[in-house]
Amino acid sequence: MCHQTVSLVARHLEAHGIATVIMGCAKDIVEHCGVPRFVFSDFPLGNSAGRPFDVESQRQTLELALRVLESAPAARSTVQSPLRWNADAAWKLDYLDLTKLSPEKIAERRKDFDEVKSIARGKREAS
Amino acid sequence: MTTIAPETRAVFAAEHDAPIPYMQRTRDYYMTLGFTPYRWAHFAEVPFTPLPTPLSRARVALITTAAPFQPEAGDQGPGAPYNAGAKFYKVYSIPTASVPDLRISHVGYDRLHTTAADINTYLPLARMKDAAAAGRIGTLGPRVHGAPTNRSHRVTMETDVPEMLRRCQEDGVDAAVLVPS
Repeated sequence: MCHQTVSLVARHLEAHGIATVIMGCAKDIVEHCGVPRFVFSDFPLGNSAGRPFDVESQRQTLELALRVLESAPAARSTVQSPLRWNADAAWKLDYLDLTKLSPEKIAERRKDFDEVKSIARGKREAS
Repeated sequence: MTTIAPETRAVFAAEHDAPIPYMQRTRDYYMTLGFTPYRWAHFAEVPFTPLPTPLSRARVALITTAAPFQPEAGDQGPGAPYNAGAKFYKVYSIPTASVPDLRISHVGYDRLHTTAADINTYLPLARMKDAAAAGRIGTLGPRVHGAPTNRSHRVTMETDVPEMLRRCQEDGVDAAVLVPS
């Protein structure tokens, strides 16, 4: 949802004369929405700006975004960071992996999601 | 893991070593849980504004979806479970001169493979300050702007997005770096 939100913001800013670049980890969501400039890090969600406690990777990721901001020739410019999260890509199989969930676990997750929605609704209505 | 393609003898990456198809995964997941699939925002046309001034003279905003820490809202620390109580529903702004305490326990980051223990992985404010100090960018905008991550496109597009633009215009920025959590 975060990736969609910033994509919608970037589009609106850009339509009003402010140049934008998104740094993110969910390539399909950003490109499906359609944005002017995007630096994609193939990292677990939560690491859009580089690796934890690795200033050099954070510096490189920002520098790539600044270069894309300066030099992208047209809209829908995506550049993928050359950094790897891990030599082994097995982590990519885990996100919302249904194959590891029993029917009981699925029922439990459904209940959890209903609860989360209800908490969020209460918070939204109170704000 | 790599595999050898017999025809070419080239060494290819593993099939799954590609960007995660998040839209497909969430669609399959929530349908299995019994919910209707979410319709993601999708446009054929994309606006484009060239950077109007050299970056070394530009004023650049930082935009985030991270949430200000709320002491009363439960666990928001590194690796905290998804915390809907820590969500926010109005655009906020915090001075860039400060060291803001912004968390991401309110969103679905990858809790299995990362912990959000280092704010610099989702908020490049320190790195942007470095870039401004080095003259790589002209100046930072005076405020970091926070966007609520609402499931409703209508609320985002009709309420939050125009407010983000208004604040960026108020700050007189030429460009913006946007970082989802």
